[in-house]
Amino acid sequence: MCSHKSIFLKQTFSSVMMILIFVTLNCDPLVERFEDVENAIWYAAKKQTTPPSNADTIMVMSWNIRFGIGRAPWFGDSCGDQVIYSEDEVLINLRGIADKINELQPDILLLQEVDVQSKKSGYVDELQWLLDHTYFNYGVYASYWQVQFVPSDGLGRINMGNAILSRWKISEAVRIPLPLRGDQDALTKYFYLRHNILKTKIDLPGVDNFYAVNVHIEAFSTDDTKKIQVDLFKDELDKLAGSGKAFVAGGDLNLLPPGSDSTDYCDEDKCPGESFHGPNDHPQHKEGSNYTPEMTWLQGLYDSYQCSVPLAEYLKDQRRYFTHTTNPNSFWDRKLDYLFTNYKWVPGSEVTHQDILDLSDHAPVSARWEVPK
Amino acid sequence: MKNLIIFNLAKVFDLCKVILIILCTVSTLFTGEPNETDWRHWSSGSAYLLPAGRWEVGVFQSLRYGYSASLELSTHPLAFLVMPNFNVKWSHGCYRGFNLSTRHSGYYPTPLLRNIARKGTGGIISPEFHIPHLVSIYNEVLISKSIAKGHLFTGKAGFCLAIKSGKLDERTTIDLPLVFPRLNVFYQGYGFRGGCNVEGKLVSRWNYLADADLFYYPSGDEKIAFEHKGLLLWTKNQRFQLCFGYKLTYGEYPFGTQWHLLGPLFDLVWAWQKN
Repeated sequence: MCSHKSIFLKQTFSSVMMILIFVTLNCDPLVERFEDVENAIWYAAKKQTTPPSNADTIMVMSWNIRFGIGRAPWFGDSCGDQVIYSEDEVLINLRGIADKINELQPDILLLQEVDVQSKKSGYVDELQWLLDHTYFNYGVYASYWQVQFVPSDGLGRINMGNAILSRWKISEAVRIPLPLRGDQDALTKYFYLRHNILKTKIDLPGVDNFYAVNVHIEAFSTDDTKKIQVDLFKDELDKLAGSGKAFVAGGDLNLLPPGSDSTDYCDEDKCPGESFHGPNDHPQHKEGSNYTPEMTWLQGLYDSYQCSVPLAEYLKDQRRYFTHTTNPNSFWDRKLDYLFTNYKWVPGSEVTHQDILDLSDHAPVSARWEVPK
Repeated sequence: MKNLIIFNLAKVFDLCKVILIILCTVSTLFTGEPNETDWRHWSSGSAYLLPAGRWEVGVFQSLRYGYSASLELSTHPLAFLVMPNFNVKWSHGCYRGFNLSTRHSGYYPTPLLRNIARKGTGGIISPEFHIPHLVSIYNEVLISKSIAKGHLFTGKAGFCLAIKSGKLDERTTIDLPLVFPRLNVFYQGYGFRGGCNVEGKLVSRWNYLADADLFYYPSGDEKIAFEHKGLLLWTKNQRFQLCFGYKLTYGEYPFGTQWHLLGPLFDLVWAWQKN
């Protein structure tokens, strides 16, 4: 008993001292709080390529790349033990992602979970690396988790966010903050993700006022945080549509399409030793795995805009459009990734790239967008 | 990469020069009290040793003990619980106004690192890594000289060496100011440190201390770190001192370079004489 107490005291003392030294003494912000709308971070490829000057359609793709760790068992989302990946491990996956991008040739790419300076991914600037190893010329980045040091699980320094890559010049790019989770204590919330909408104006030849909008909605909230965030995302799209602007928008919405057959994934997502749904289980549901109370939250987007996979098509054959799984060894078991527009997708052009199994825990989704003439 | 290192070194050396000029200016502006200052008290960074039998301890500073006229022993009592450490300062006398001593220190951070390598809140290092037994040994030379009445300049240079019982994974680095430069020796194997202090009397009971330290690890990607500290010290009497100030750091980390301004620093130091 004494030795346990002593170990506990030593551990507490060590951690408290390390955190106190940094938190209380550092004049720089430990956590970037992003409280206002601000400009995104601009990137450019080292070598520029000539973009198409006259296109009837363009291909838009959205992909949550899971910060370049592929299907590895990360501690945070797939019952794994590993926290920190080496630069070599990350570069192998990024090489695979770049190869797929070069093969599929999207013109505009919406990425989520892009690390630019995180210990967990070997401090690789993944956006710059992808720009330099694909044909894209420009990129913008909006961080949703920028912390100098996360004193938990050895995470350390983190800078992860949304990115948009484009062949054409990006003339405007803003980061619009989304509300924080409402179901966390103050300390956890302080160090936690700060989701955002990344809104860009792209100089697409022949189209005035063309916008690409990227979002990553909170995954693990158990209150109405996701609804608030999705509604704000829709508000931004409404503003664009209301002012006569054409947009493509999408991302990882972390919500199922209305009418999905399966809505509770606690059993699929549970880790060894976890139990849910039983009379003595607390909580009853695994965080982020029970979509049942959230099933109508995407209805507004479907009603107002064209999804690349129309809801009727999805409901006819749901498995064909699944984009995500938490189990490193399983096939896709739910749809979380979407593309919307206020104009037109080329009918039948949507592809859910379910064959890309080993590069992320999300499959990319793409569709061809008809360029207004 | 080499150009970048030279550029960073140049920046650090430029900053050192500016700090040195400021220190010299400050030290000439304040003439000090006519009484001869006893540098053996409250002066842990100089070549002077505590008088035999005198103890000094701060909340954050080391516990120091004047063992004899030529030997001073010290340890950091709070850190000792999780990181056993010792310091021995050995006086080699005074030559033409230059006071010369050497400092020999060692610490064993393994218990501390193992304690903070864990899951959940407080996990500074990921628990997936094994921390081997680690010992750092550091030897340095200190030379102090009075540069004006009541003002002391100390130059110092040293060599540190790490001993490990096994491989330490590079992903275990703690990429924070103050911490990273001190633990970097365990990843690089050896390194050098050099720097200077200027301290002296301002007015009445007020003293100042400013220092600059350069860490250099020739064998790794993260070669350089620089630290500068400025302190104002208020000495109530021979038994109590209060100090506050700031610390400026620059370093090469695995993610790139970064400056930090840390502050306010604050400490209370007590002393007593055992006859």
